[in-house]
Amino acid sequence: MSTMTDTNPIDVPQSILQSPKHWRNRVAGHHWRTGDEEFDAAKLGMWLFLTTEVLLFAGIFCGYAVFRMMYPEAWANGSHYLDWRFGAANTAVLLLSSWTAANAVRCAQLDKQFWLRVNIVVTVVCAALFIGIKFWFEYRVKLGQGKAPGTFFSYPFAHDPHEPLWWSLYYVGTGIHALHVVIGAVLFLVVLYYAKRYQAYGPTQYTLVENAALYWHLVDLVWIFLFPLLYLIH
Amino acid sequence: MSHTAAENKSQLGWDPDDPHGINPHHDEHHHFIADWRMQVSVLAILLFFTFLTVAFFRVEAWAEVAFGIHLPGWVNIVGAMSIATVKGVLVAAFFMQLRYDKVLNTFVLLFCLLCVGLFLGFSMIDLNSRHLVNDFSSGEIEMGGTGYGLNNAPADPEFSVKFGPKVNTAGMPLIYQARLDGALSGDPHYKGLNAYREDPTLNEADFWKTFYGSHATHRDLLDEHDYFTQLGYAHHDDVSTANKSRSRHGLTEGLFEDVAPSAFDEHGGSESHGGDGH
Repeated sequence: MSTMTDTNPIDVPQSILQSPKHWRNRVAGHHWRTGDEEFDAAKLGMWLFLTTEVLLFAGIFCGYAVFRMMYPEAWANGSHYLDWRFGAANTAVLLLSSWTAANAVRCAQLDKQFWLRVNIVVTVVCAALFIGIKFWFEYRVKLGQGKAPGTFFSYPFAHDPHEPLWWSLYYVGTGIHALHVVIGAVLFLVVLYYAKRYQAYGPTQYTLVENAALYWHLVDLVWIFLFPLLYLIH
Repeated sequence: MSHTAAENKSQLGWDPDDPHGINPHHDEHHHFIADWRMQVSVLAILLFFTFLTVAFFRVEAWAEVAFGIHLPGWVNIVGAMSIATVKGVLVAAFFMQLRYDKVLNTFVLLFCLLCVGLFLGFSMIDLNSRHLVNDFSSGEIEMGGTGYGLNNAPADPEFSVKFGPKVNTAGMPLIYQARLDGALSGDPHYKGLNAYREDPTLNEADFWKTFYGSHATHRDLLDEHDYFTQLGYAHHDDVSTANKSRSRHGLTEGLFEDVAPSAFDEHGGSESHGGDGH
């Protein structure tokens, strides 16, 4: 990969070049003085939204800390029930996808349309991989053993009376995170559609790529903390 | 408006897009474009730190068994959380480009993290200082646990699992109900004691083999035929630690020594009176 501007080997049809959705033809909203201001405002808005996401997960982290202090036995047992290899694999998958998301922004800035699409596709594939590992190798197996949240709990070999509470926190924490992974993947699929259909993102217009990537990085950031808390700390 | 900005500018003598002249270069794009080598390096460092946090966890678990030591709980937490914080800073600074971005975005994030800190901090202070008001509030939150609930129903209405109308355990902890009824899985391995006792093709000893094999601390209350002794798990009576199978921290020394094995009576309590020292 070089840092030179893409020479774009594919002949772009006139229908795309002249579309009002092509990045060269897109203009800032009439209430903005410049496209830069529109971009900065959108990005600040995204950051404000991300803070509410951080506070959402902070509730889960706080619940984790409180219950861990109250029932250290159940929490120690709980992390022993989880396989760190699945957690570590999912961490690597998310880190890789965060890198491709950052690369997608860079490719949009450099008008590398082909590599923009490649990076988005890899990001979405990583999201599917993450969800696949989580649901097929973790949720499915654990629920089959009865390691279910709250009153659904029916694992016969439990040792601590508060283990059902541990599983509640595990499913709520990882479930809400998995929901964010799905939302992020859908967001990137939207970006992929517009990038493929209209070449809508380029050096002067890539707000949606940037904000989708910011959302994706936050999903990664939350997992960076969820992984050791759930799988490693005992 | 039929006038273009350029026409307005020449007619008015000032720029209507920038009337105060605060942004003389607004046509130029100053957006930071990341160097791909920098991004690859950050990814490599992040993957290395993921390896490091797992290695730390594995080495610690190995050392506790190999040297028979109990590392304090904070070693585990501080190690994992420091590495996670470094990773988080790397993602925020380089992938999210806060390092090259407007300071306002960083400020927004830091202010949010300050709120999270207050949120977490005051919860911890509350939980850690309840015993200063009421002595009885201190029991469960101390490291090491008290074994509370092992032969008593969880009696804390605020934090214990609330039983729905579907599950009536008659005061038993939910895990004892689960131990009797077992998982819905077709795998006989996860069936409960009732299935093992009713099905002539299943041997109850197999259930207890799995149960004590995972974590043999003491004879279970539902182990009426004393498989604990029959399967040879009662051979560590001279060891003072409550944990007789493998090294773990968080258990109070001698905790289970005087827990007499017994079944639940009809009042939902235990026939044994447990230890006086609890």
